[in-house]
Amino acid sequence: MDERHRAEEHLRVIRTLMERATIYRAISASTALIGGLIALGLTSTIWASERHWAQIAPQVMRHISTRGFAALWLGALAIVLALNAFFVWRQAQRDSRPFISPSMKLALRSILPCLIFPAATTIWFFYDGYEADNELLLVRIWIGFYGLALIATQHFAPRSLVLLGWAFLITAAGMMVASRQLEYYSTPLVPNLAMGFTFGLYHLIYAACVWKSPVRVGSE
Amino acid sequence: MLDFDKLDKAIHEKGRLSIMTLLATRMAWSFQDLKAELNMSDGNLITHLRTLHKLGLVAMTKEIRDRPQTSYALTAKGRVAFQEYLRVLEQIVKAGRK
Repeated sequence: MDERHRAEEHLRVIRTLMERATIYRAISASTALIGGLIALGLTSTIWASERHWAQIAPQVMRHISTRGFAALWLGALAIVLALNAFFVWRQAQRDSRPFISPSMKLALRSILPCLIFPAATTIWFFYDGYEADNELLLVRIWIGFYGLALIATQHFAPRSLVLLGWAFLITAAGMMVASRQLEYYSTPLVPNLAMGFTFGLYHLIYAACVWKSPVRVGSE
Repeated sequence: MLDFDKLDKAIHEKGRLSIMTLLATRMAWSFQDLKAELNMSDGNLITHLRTLHKLGLVAMTKEIRDRPQTSYALTAKGRVAFQEYLRVLEQIVKAGRK
């Protein structure tokens, strides 16, 4: 191998390692696509169910309980997290790399602090918060802090993921500003639509934008 | 005319180049993280790190938290040497395309 080819090979090694060490896509395009579809599916199911029961028993304000609504979305979250873990594991197997890579540890260290408050709010919601139909508050916190968690990865995440985080954060802030107008509508219509719009539609748009991205899943 | 001798021979070895590249991306790397990222054996990695350390390109810090942990970082000399190495590599590639 002549010196030029060796130099090119070494530059390739440097580039690959730098990307691997400095760029980490916490959410792959596949996870975003499946997560988006699950979120839209759940939103449609809840909406159709409410509509169906509203025709049969119009005197009842709501048919899916407040805690039932939150439990359904937590179930969807569990499925998406399991799928994301599977995609990351599969990629790690293909690359002969550890499942919990240094980049993943770095991402978790950045993301986890942003998830403590929404986790605490969710626990409060299941104990007491559900009594006052606080779904809208819960949903705003989920959306806003999820956005913050994505933004917290900005030092090593691709720009697309940070933009997704900003879209979530701005939506949550907008929902906070428009609290009075949104609370006028019956629950769970607005929280359900907000979840479908953000976790469904935003993720699908993100998946479409990064589908052909060269950055690898999970362990980048 | 390019002088290939300008290439730092300590860095111009694939294993050590990989170590220097990773160290250039963050403030410090633990031994375990370097090992996981580079998929190298303990012996191989420690040999390369010792070589770079002896040349003053890499600094080593030993800490005892729950268990002893050694972390590595580029020294100022190491950072300059890595940048210079990259500059020479790019020149070689450009010269070869002419």
